[in-house]
Parts: sequence; C-alpha cells; structure tokens
Amino acid sequence: MAKDKSQAEDYLAPLKRLLLGVLVLCLVGLFLVWRIDSPRVERFRAAVVDRVVPSFDWAMAPVTATVNLVRDFQSYQRIVQQNQDLRNELQTMKAWKEAALQLEQENARLLDLNKVRLDPRLTFVTGVVLADSGSPFRQSVLLNVGARDGIVDGWATMDGIGLVGRISGVGRDTSRVILLTDPASRIPATIQPSGQAAIVQGDNTAAPLISFLEDPDLVRPGDRVVSSGDGGVFPAGLLIGQVATDPGGRLRVILAADYERLEFLRVLRNPGTEVIRDPGALVAPRQERLTPAPLPADGATLSETEDSNG
Amino acid sequence: MAEGSATRVWGMRLMYLALALALIFAKLIPLDFQPQAWAGPDLLVAFTFAWVLRRPEFVPALSIGLVVLLADLLFLRPPGLWAALMVLGTQALRNRARNLRDQPFVMEWLAVAVVFLAISVANRLVLAILMVPQAPLGLTIIHMMMTLICYPVVVMLSQWVFGVRKAAPGDLDRLGQRI
Repeated sequence: MAKDKSQAEDYLAPLKRLLLGVLVLCLVGLFLVWRIDSPRVERFRAAVVDRVVPSFDWAMAPVTATVNLVRDFQSYQRIVQQNQDLRNELQTMKAWKEAALQLEQENARLLDLNKVRLDPRLTFVTGVVLADSGSPFRQSVLLNVGARDGIVDGWATMDGIGLVGRISGVGRDTSRVILLTDPASRIPATIQPSGQAAIVQGDNTAAPLISFLEDPDLVRPGDRVVSSGDGGVFPAGLLIGQVATDPGGRLRVILAADYERLEFLRVLRNPGTEVIRDPGALVAPRQERLTPAPLPADGATLSETEDSNG
Repeated sequence: MAEGSATRVWGMRLMYLALALALIFAKLIPLDFQPQAWAGPDLLVAFTFAWVLRRPEFVPALSIGLVVLLADLLFLRPPGLWAALMVLGTQALRNRARNLRDQPFVMEWLAVAVVFLAISVANRLVLAILMVPQAPLGLTIIHMMMTLICYPVVVMLSQWVFGVRKAAPGDLDRLGQRI
C-alpha cells in the first residue's frame, strides 16, 4: 500500500513543486515591483481595498454598533459620577462661551476695520470611517469617500476640532487617511505664542513627537500647535493639539482630535496655495523694467486683488 | 467512501478561506484608533500552521498565498513578501507533518516556533536590505510571543470546533488509500 502511494506521488511531486515555485516567484515578483514602482502597486492596493472593504460593510456596521453599545452600557454604571462631571464642565464652558462671544465680536470689528478677506474656498467633504488599518504597526482609517467625491491625495482630514491626518491612497469609493500617530506621518507645524516652526512626527504612540524645533526653550507645555502650511501641502492654521513633555524630556503633542472615537471625518478641499511668480510686477509698473518679461495670468489677477485690498 | 471524503476535503478548503476572511474582517472592524503598547496574536498565521500540520490537504499552498496576499494588501504591509514567506514556511512544515504526527505536542509547538521565527527574521532582513521602513522591533517580538502563546488554544479550537484532527491510522485519503 505504502509503495503504491509513493509511486503515485512520484509523478505528481515535481509538478506540485513547479507550481509552488511559480506561486512563490509571482509573490516575490509583486513585492519587487512594489519596491521599484510603488505608486502603481499602491494604486492596485487602493483598488483592491475599494472592492473588498465596502462589501464587508453590511456585516461590519452591526458588529461595530453592538460593541459600541456594550461599551456605552458599561459607562452607564458610572452615570451619576459622569453627570456631576458634566455639570462642572458645563459651568466652566459657560464662562468660556461668554469670553468667546466677546472675542468674536472684537475680532469681527477688527477684521472689519482692516478689510481682511478670509479664504472662502476652504470647504470640506464629510466621510464615515469604514475600517481601521487592522495592524498594530500602522495607524490609518478608511473613509467611504473617494475619487468619485473629488478626493485628492494629500488633503488634510479633521474631526470637528483638530487635525486627524492626511489622505494617502484614493480608490473610487474609498480613501485612506494616514493618522498623525502613524510612523510615516510628518506634518509641518507652528507652535503658537512663540511662532516656532517644527515638524510633528508620528511614532506609533498616542502623542506624536515634535522634532526639528529651532529653540526648545521658547516652547512651554500647554502651547498650541497648529499646522503651518509650509510646503503648500496643508492649509495653515488647523489646530493639531497642545505641547506636553514626556518623562524622557522630549516634547510631544497631545492631539486635539478625539482619537478614541473617529466616526465622521472632514476632508478639507485644498485647491493649493497661489504662488507669486513675478515679484517685479507687484513693486513697479511693467513698462519701467529694463528687460520686460511676459506677465503670467496669475500675477495679473494677484496684483489686481492687491490694489483693491490696499 | 472516496467521493464522500473528496467533498469533505473541498468543504474544508472553503472552510479555511471563510475562516481566513472572518479573521481579516475581525481585524478591520473600526473600534480602536489609539496606538497600542502591545500587539495581539496573528491568528491567521496560527490557524494556517495548525491546519497544515494536521491536514495538509485542507490548506493548499495556493489558498494560503492568496489569503495572505489579501491580508498584505488590506493591512498596509509590503504586498507579496509575507505571503511568499508564509507559503515557504508552511511548505517546510508540510514536509515535516508526517514525522511530527507521532510526536508529542511540545515538539510540534517547537517546530511551529522555529518556522515562525525563521520567516519573521527573513521578513525583517529582506525589508532591511531593501531599506523599507519597518515596524518597531519590540512590538514585533510581542506580536510573535502572543502568536506562539495562543497556538495551543488555536489547535484546540481547530480540533473541537472545526474537526481538523491529525489523521489516525486507518483513515483513508482522497484516492481511497491509507494515509
């Protein structure tokens, strides 16, 4: 019996080994192609995610809802305590609301005096979180808006309050947000009262590091960290969080966005910052230049707005 | 008899695919967005190894390759590398499955640990050589330890819930021959 079996395997075994080799070669080949031409394979990945994850959604939504329900139920046990805390917070908030209203009126008056125009083009698309990264080593979420809704790689994503991350990988119906806590995330930022420029660098912990800071002595824990718009990637002035010092003495950001519950995220439409290409046109009329250069259309509109602003 | 066992084999192959999809799905559920200080076990690897050592015919190399490739794509890992290493690792275990069948469980556990360690080290080496950014080492070690600690539980689940046992003497294979 055993002899028959080994004879049957004799002609099947080389074939199986060949197919196995082909399979392994295909997989290794895919990996090498990814290493050489990453954007193409990443687009393929986005397409696969786009196909697979929404088809899980019918099952994922009820499971997520049930688990969240159970968690909420656990929190009912502390309801009296919570009620007390909320009352206290509400009292503090009322004081802040009063201060905010006064500041808003003052701000409006000052803006009116200076005839400042805020950028009206900063609109947003809101998406629902479909899935997380599924791996303990990466921090990202998947949104249910994609190229169909006009999402573009690199746009900033916020929850109601603070910056959450940036779009990286867009499928037709889905897009991936790399969170600020991901090891691959680097965001140019400004630290508010001192105006120092820095980079907020994710390192797979809840509070990202602040690096490339010019003068750490000017920065205190509690300072506000906002995005700086350097490099033209992000709009400037989005709140990221507050500075804190960790036990090792390094500066970190406590994020303003509520990472415990990311449910709806706003993707900010960013049409890109206008670049001033022709500095001479702003300073002096075109005729007086020694070597007249053709004025680009952007420059012309820019100088017009400058006139009406001034 | 032979036909009955053939349908069972195909049923269990589909069962493996369904189980793998369920495990991937469970990991994708958006519940926890905070980075964690520790990493949970990789149940997909543990189940694959347990099934390969018990009934190699339920988990052909092709289905392992496809399932792990899908996981690579969904979990933002470098696509293809871990899948290729898993296919090679399971093949190494598959070749030892007949010898390990008569050994105590500890030997099997040890073999799984050695193979898992080997493919993890190979993974990190290849990524280091090609200068791909890697996960932190500490987290990877915790991940491996958790997977190995969970392995006996996974084996028990496979045996009692899914009925994947080691072939006993007298069992027949697809062609109606003794295994």
